[in-house]
Amino acid sequence: MKILEIKNLSLKSKKSNALLLNNISLTLNKGETLGIVGESGSGKTLTGLSVTGLLDSSIFEVISGEVIYSKQNLLACPEEYLRSIRTKKISMVFQEPMLSLNPVQTIKKQLDEVIKLHVTKIKKDINSLSKEIIIKTGLEDVDKTLLSYPHMLSGGQRQRVMIAIALVCKPDILIADEPTTALDVTLQLQILDLLNNFKIENSMSMILVSHDLDLIKNYSDHIIILNNGVIVEDGLTRNVFEKPKHEYTKKLILSKPDKIITKNSGDKKILETKNLSCRFPLNNPFFTKNKKYFTALSNVNIHVNIGETVGIVGESGSGKTTLAMAIMQLLNYDGNIIFDNKDLSMLSNKDIRKYRNNFQIVFQDPFSSLSPRLNILEILSEGLVAFNKDIKYNELFDICTSLLSEVGLSNDMLLRYPHQFSGGQRQRIAIARALSMKPKLIIFDEPTSALDVIVQKNILELIVSLQEKYSLSYCFISHDLKVIKSISHRIYVIKDSEIVETNSTENILNYPTSDYTKNLIKSSFLS
Amino acid sequence: MNKYNVYWVKFLKNKRNKYSLFVFGFIFILSLFAEVLSNDKPIIMSIDSKLYFPIIMTYSDKHFDGYFDTEADYKDNFMTQKIAMKNNWAIFPLNPHSYDSINLNKSTPNPAPPSQYNYLGTDDRGRDVLARLLYGFRLSVLFAFALTAIGILIGLFFGALQGYYAGKIDLYLQRFIEIWGSMPELYLLIIFSSLFEPSVLLLIILLSLFGWMGLSDYVRAEFLKGRNMEYVIAARTLGLSDTKIILKHILPNSMVSVITFLPFRISGAILVLTSLDFLGLGVPPDTPSLGELLAQGKENIEAWWLSISTFLVLTGTLLSLIFIGEGIRESLDSRSE
Repeated sequence: MKILEIKNLSLKSKKSNALLLNNISLTLNKGETLGIVGESGSGKTLTGLSVTGLLDSSIFEVISGEVIYSKQNLLACPEEYLRSIRTKKISMVFQEPMLSLNPVQTIKKQLDEVIKLHVTKIKKDINSLSKEIIIKTGLEDVDKTLLSYPHMLSGGQRQRVMIAIALVCKPDILIADEPTTALDVTLQLQILDLLNNFKIENSMSMILVSHDLDLIKNYSDHIIILNNGVIVEDGLTRNVFEKPKHEYTKKLILSKPDKIITKNSGDKKILETKNLSCRFPLNNPFFTKNKKYFTALSNVNIHVNIGETVGIVGESGSGKTTLAMAIMQLLNYDGNIIFDNKDLSMLSNKDIRKYRNNFQIVFQDPFSSLSPRLNILEILSEGLVAFNKDIKYNELFDICTSLLSEVGLSNDMLLRYPHQFSGGQRQRIAIARALSMKPKLIIFDEPTSALDVIVQKNILELIVSLQEKYSLSYCFISHDLKVIKSISHRIYVIKDSEIVETNSTENILNYPTSDYTKNLIKSSFLS
Repeated sequence: MNKYNVYWVKFLKNKRNKYSLFVFGFIFILSLFAEVLSNDKPIIMSIDSKLYFPIIMTYSDKHFDGYFDTEADYKDNFMTQKIAMKNNWAIFPLNPHSYDSINLNKSTPNPAPPSQYNYLGTDDRGRDVLARLLYGFRLSVLFAFALTAIGILIGLFFGALQGYYAGKIDLYLQRFIEIWGSMPELYLLIIFSSLFEPSVLLLIILLSLFGWMGLSDYVRAEFLKGRNMEYVIAARTLGLSDTKIILKHILPNSMVSVITFLPFRISGAILVLTSLDFLGLGVPPDTPSLGELLAQGKENIEAWWLSISTFLVLTGTLLSLIFIGEGIRESLDSRSE
């Protein structure tokens, strides 16, 4: 039974006149989950927003089309009617649970508000209903949760609260816009299972918007693939994944990182950490003696061999980035870091600066890792000038040109500024900058997490080809086991500032020993 | 250089910005040549077929067969007769009054309303209002430029120090700023102006001692944000020194807030000088100043030419500076692209 239908919806931006959605048509049946997949900027969120009439009319203009729900065209309905069906009949869950909750109100107040508006005004019923829905979303300690403020809850808990608010009126349709993207992988499954169970219990329909193909594949019945505001393919999920018709779909499905590991890695250690610990003082009063500390790393022992890629996988807050910063000598630590038979912890700041060209880092966010006021030539030549003050402009120009071609960019880009590049190109520039120092070890801190899947794959291939060419050693940090798996020889699993497990990639994936690793593998849809 | 062109084009696109900059710039450049435009000495004159340049050179009465060693007064009867003699001539500036020249041959009482002799009238001591406005405007703007420049240098230095090194340095400097900032600035000014002989330099020093704190807070915040940006960390991993990182990476990216601040600080400084002069705590009495003219306007409420002309000059200056500031902020804001 059809419950929602979008007919030939086209949408444009008022400012740039660009067509954002082009002739989108879709149907949602009762009790069914429709998955919408696409890269960033493909229009998947806009499609979701247009259903509830939440599009900002000062920015967007509907050119044509209808959104039909219970025989009414929602696009033509007055605001009051839309307000009465939002949350009650059509409900939404957004990506960022921190931004979607009001920080100065308790959970109970925000939840009660919705119930009061749409369900009942009797105090006793409100209380029982809010408790009931909180229990259903799997939050423990119901009374405490209800009385807490959003900042007292973790990201996963907050998303559960958002889901509770969205589902408390038992809506017909739930639009979940990247509901788990901001959460750790192990939480993703729990949240999606929660949504799925609720859907089955109340025969609700769901639109699941995501960039994550695995997630959509496991949770949706129908699937729509969007590219630049156009539906390039739709159909039953199984059919689309087994026999993709459109080129773009094929590319998307194939973009799942393959195993692209270099063959030979030596046995000689290039980097070794011995009992590496790191702690940060908590907000102590100025004159206290027994200060409290937050332990970010405790007794971490890892090593990287020459020509080897070591994957470090862990959730947010597990200490992976702290580890990278400690190895890069950018923060104070206890223990020893031995690089190329030299104990870096013994060196003075000045000596370390002279030694820095040997190890480099590439960051996650290509938008903040390049200074917006410098052009590419300046960015790439900076390190070279710091190490060789007498270097001539001609030489610099030649080196930077060859660096750019090394990472697959053309040399006419040298005098452009970072904002003229796409995310993938910027990440290539960041890699070129790291290469400019001719390092022996490069640390990659989530280098592909901010990129779309297809670009992700290209960057990974570039990284591996560079390793083959220069026998570089890599330390690859990510929360994404799929990426780590495709590129690493060995894997360290880090949790709560400690290494919980380490082994070769095959062994870790096939015979995980710790529960945490098992959970991680399951959540990444790798089993 | 291309990127600066972009900002410039964007700035000029807005007509309000364009005209504000044009009006302010034009008047400021004019005022820089105040000595040539408004002076009681001739620009050039010829006496007994000899050329004289009284604006540049100082001639005593004796040069013109007078009796005194003092500088010649070209408005004096002795000189006017000399100039009026056959074959002698003199070219006077457009407004033949300086800021401190008093016309003694006038029949009307002071302050005198606008007339063909004094285009904007005279103040209560018989000095030409137009000349005093022109010189006063120049002094105010130059004073404001100097004060702002010093404030920015000190503010940038302390702000960068605090923001980049953070930790203990930041903690102690911030406490120092809190103590320093809570000193009663106005009373210190009053005390100092009675201790020392008032002068423009003294005012600049005193106001500079307190004027840098607002900016250093801004710079500090920008640097605190900037020091953890990934491109700054990347620069550290490339082995760049702290000074280089500050100058090349963080400073250019925090300059937007500093530059945006500039016109507002300049207009603030003009206002401070005017208020101090109005209260009689500012520059020495003879110096031409807008605040002193306003005070005269208050004393002689019926002399409308005093208060209205000064008010218009002051408002026009402040308004155009604020429009310029808004324009700069808008054109530097990358979000509005």
